[in-house]
Amino acid sequence: MQSLDELRRVIRRIETGRPPRLAVPPADQVLGGELVETGAGPLLVVRREYPLTHIHGRQPLAAAFAAPLDLLSAVARAAAPARDPRGLLFLDTEATGLAGGTGTYAFLVGVGHLDGDRVVVAQYFMRDFDEEPALLTALVPLLEQAAGVVTFNGSGFDLPLLETRFVLARRRWPTLLPHLDLLPPARRVFTLRCADCRLTTLEREVIGLEREDDVPGALIPALYFDFLRSRRAAPLARVFDHNRHDVLSLVALLGWFGRALAAHDHLGAEDLAGLGRLWEPVDLERALACYRAALTADLAGPAAHRVRLRLARWEKRAARWDAACALWEAARDHDAFDREPWEEIAKFHEHRRRDLPAARAIVAQALEVADTAGAAPRVLDAFTHRLSRLERRLRRHR
Amino acid sequence: MLGELLDDLLTSPSTGPCITATRHFAPRPPVLVPFPPSLDPRIADALRARGIHELYSHQAQSWELIEKGHHVVVVTPTASGKTLCYNLPALQALLLQPDARVLYLFPTKALAQDQLAELEALAKTLPEMRMFTYDGDTPQDARRAVRARANLVLTNPDMLHSGILPHHTKWATLFQNLRYVVIDELHAYRGVFGSHLANLLRRLHRICRHYGSAPQFIMASATIANPGELARRLVGEHVEEIAESGAPTGDKTFICYNPPVVNPDLGIRAPYLGEAAKLAIRLLRARIATIVFAQSRLATEVLLTSIKNGVADKTGDSGIVRGYRGGYLPTRRRAVEKGLREGEVLGVVSTNALELGVDIGHLDVAVLAGYPGAIASLWQQAGRAGRRSGSSAAIFVATSAPLDQFMVTHPEYLFGTPPEHARVNPDNPFILVNHLKCAAFELPIGPGAAGGEIEKFGDVDVRRFLAALEDEGVLHHAGSRWHWAAETYPADHVSLRTVTSDNFVVIDTGARDATQTKRRQIIAEVDWGSAFATIHPKAIYLVESEPYEVQELCWREDEEKVAYVKRVQVDYFTDAISAKGVWILQRLADQAHPVYLAEQGEVLVAEKVVGFKKIKMGTLENVGSGEVELPQQEMQTTAAWLTVTPEALARVSASREELIDGLRAVTYLLHHLAPIFLLCDIRDVGSWLGDTTPAEPGAVATRESTKRRLMSAERFNPTIYLYDSHAGGIGLAERLFEILPDLLRRGLETLHACPCRFGCPSCVGPVNEVGRKAKATAQALLRTLVG
Repeated sequence: MQSLDELRRVIRRIETGRPPRLAVPPADQVLGGELVETGAGPLLVVRREYPLTHIHGRQPLAAAFAAPLDLLSAVARAAAPARDPRGLLFLDTEATGLAGGTGTYAFLVGVGHLDGDRVVVAQYFMRDFDEEPALLTALVPLLEQAAGVVTFNGSGFDLPLLETRFVLARRRWPTLLPHLDLLPPARRVFTLRCADCRLTTLEREVIGLEREDDVPGALIPALYFDFLRSRRAAPLARVFDHNRHDVLSLVALLGWFGRALAAHDHLGAEDLAGLGRLWEPVDLERALACYRAALTADLAGPAAHRVRLRLARWEKRAARWDAACALWEAARDHDAFDREPWEEIAKFHEHRRRDLPAARAIVAQALEVADTAGAAPRVLDAFTHRLSRLERRLRRHR
Repeated sequence: MLGELLDDLLTSPSTGPCITATRHFAPRPPVLVPFPPSLDPRIADALRARGIHELYSHQAQSWELIEKGHHVVVVTPTASGKTLCYNLPALQALLLQPDARVLYLFPTKALAQDQLAELEALAKTLPEMRMFTYDGDTPQDARRAVRARANLVLTNPDMLHSGILPHHTKWATLFQNLRYVVIDELHAYRGVFGSHLANLLRRLHRICRHYGSAPQFIMASATIANPGELARRLVGEHVEEIAESGAPTGDKTFICYNPPVVNPDLGIRAPYLGEAAKLAIRLLRARIATIVFAQSRLATEVLLTSIKNGVADKTGDSGIVRGYRGGYLPTRRRAVEKGLREGEVLGVVSTNALELGVDIGHLDVAVLAGYPGAIASLWQQAGRAGRRSGSSAAIFVATSAPLDQFMVTHPEYLFGTPPEHARVNPDNPFILVNHLKCAAFELPIGPGAAGGEIEKFGDVDVRRFLAALEDEGVLHHAGSRWHWAAETYPADHVSLRTVTSDNFVVIDTGARDATQTKRRQIIAEVDWGSAFATIHPKAIYLVESEPYEVQELCWREDEEKVAYVKRVQVDYFTDAISAKGVWILQRLADQAHPVYLAEQGEVLVAEKVVGFKKIKMGTLENVGSGEVELPQQEMQTTAAWLTVTPEALARVSASREELIDGLRAVTYLLHHLAPIFLLCDIRDVGSWLGDTTPAEPGAVATRESTKRRLMSAERFNPTIYLYDSHAGGIGLAERLFEILPDLLRRGLETLHACPCRFGCPSCVGPVNEVGRKAKATAQALLRTLVG
């Protein structure tokens, strides 16, 4: 103390300052982690390890590290994150909101990677906003050393969020990091059998994991804000569990893809159909094989209808008319009313076989079925139009 | 051709007597100077290719000041080549510094499009020009490309506010290298919009500081009284003003036209829209290119219809006249602009949307149907007609509103008064707090990089606001800084065009799509402040003169703010009856005059719509009424008020009732004349005749019950309140307080000049509302007050 005045000022500051917070056990103890010195301040890191033999849901973690990454990158149309999956970083963030923009923080970043024969999940957590520099500093070597990053919707959320935080802190963001986002391939494969493509849905339906007492994602920001004000870390334990699950599910999902791409005899009809969609842009013959296998495996319902039509379109393009016709007829006979197979069959008779009476019979029947099925006026109109055109042509031929 | 027609107007017995003033403006030659030596030769060549071989003096002057590093504001008339003042330094910077970035701000998207076209034409031959607009019309997939490529971005304040600043990391290159910020149409940023802009620029400054840039501001404004001051208030730093135009002007005539009185007793004049249409039709039939300015969307449509009818050829084609206003689709507006430039469209009827600098070429005559609310706008609109050589004219057709009548009967005021002051109040607490939230979202608020005191917002110490926001749970203090700590995106909840952002949407429940399926069709938006008076249940709400009846109004806090309406066939419209009250919260200034006390401070204004009258269209008879149950709306704002001493009142009349009617008449008059001094819309100001010591605080009263209370009050202390209609105030009340003596004097002059006998809408209000003696009493009161 240099002078009495200064002392008075200090006292006044103490007196008028914020009320002291109630003593609560520190977050590192409650959450079971340790404080790590990052060079930009201390940071709470919670670390858990899993043997490669660990089964997440029905999926062994090990499968991910044998996944054919080049194939997967090709079907996901992403830059290949190296050939060796053993250098991958599985990343998932928890944020203070979904709004995006510079006012959204990534307060918890969970990363998984392989260390020898164990999968390590490390969670980097800022106990307050002023620990963000420490969090970003801790992420730098992880990102720099990784062969690539695997995320679920990372292109749309996690990576832009982290990039924003890095740029805001005026730090270099590793832009050229290879990235495999599992959401786009998952969308292609699983739309047939899952109601939506959220990670929790896929966990339940694909990975076979039912989370217990999982905290809904929408509540996470509020839980963090509560912690900031109250300093009580206990409710955050569920957020850490949630995040850790997400990271492990990334590993499991990559494993699922790896196994499905390597061989598909273990898959059910719907997954075969979905896999066909995945192969389609890369290897058409494999895709068609998947579709055929799916139909052979008794794919049913609207999914079967879509696969029949899709397959038929490719058969038609390859001028395999018998196969195409068989598919259209199956679609016509087995599934709910749809104009496409009727039209295609009619066109086949009219233009390929040049059998106008047969074409007319098909259209007339289609019109009747469409009417009974209560089809939209424009569908009925299209058939009527086609019918009268055929009749005009028939008259001219006579 | 034009000359003959004007002569005819002035001398013919039908129109001659209506013309209250004619003013002639002689042509002025240009003041030209050679290109400055520092101008890059490639730009000089590009100018020569466009036929420009020298600069006007103001263009050279701004070049020089900008080169010295000053912020500048250029204030010169329409069509004086203002845009070159900012385009030249911007292009030079982009040519010479490969990394430099420039940001252009226009108040509307249309202006940005327009300027892009002009820039592209000028910069055709120059390398390194990557100029793009970035606004609500920019497709999502093109945005990334614009961010990555553009070195000159044209946008608007709304986009800067909600699309750019909150995502500044995606624009890091721009903010690191921001060389110039160009703000055109500076005069548009007054009142609420200007107060928002000032705060938006405070946010922009913070972001630039964060990235280490300090851009120079180049601004352009139409003629207003205080461009330099406005620019300084907005930018927060010293700004050099350039006011001397070197551009030539052609010969110009300005005519004031007052529609003839058709009922002297009631003071009723021929409808001004009809008169304006007649004038426009005469001009257009003579093939004279004409722009007609109307004061509202509705007036635009009405005028357009009658002018089209008047000019249609034998085949019924009236395509030479088009309409132009905000609600039209952009493609349609572009087509009209192009038609005007190329001469296929001869006439246009527009709202003030065309007052701003959209390029429509040059027209011969501007017809101003109604006073646009401000001298500055008047000259801006008049300036739309005029060529750099040759003659042109502007005709101002007055409405019967007091403001118009004052102007048309006092042409010396119209021609002699400097244009108004544009006022902004960046420190309006409501506006400021909203921008603080956005600022915290963009970058935590705390001490600057060098440490020390917490950063200020303008000159405001914001610590107490930050503490309040922390209490509210949207900010969180950590380390030495306040961080945004909420899930929301604050810019989405702040509209730059209003103080509070809760708007009502009006939904037509009868709307059907092509297949007759019901669909949700929004037909209008109404701001919170005027919602209860215009879209209360059973109100008739007019959209493009089609009547809709309000079925239900959802206003509760937890529901979406919607009015459901149905198209109806009725021959009446509704006029809300509201109860009001004004309470003084804090006196900030006072000024004692011999016969009255003027005060200024903060007030609480409470208003409640309690019912409505049904008024027959055409005859304006009262054909019914109804009651409504709506909540009371309260607003804290700033006001100026005046209380007349009992002695002075007693000298005017012994009858309290007469005095109340007279004071009410004065209130009406002062309210309607106030915009002359404030450069604001009449709706920006509210008025109320009340009492300095109201009996029940918080209880509102209708006009009738207030009158009863004043009649029976023990102490008779009537007070005239004039308040700022925007919560928190935008600086109007302070100015009102200053100019109150002037305002009273103008009021007296208006009463003298008004030819009606007992009061009319042009002076103290319709006689059937204010009473037969009101005008005389008001005149006596004002004489006493003016002294």
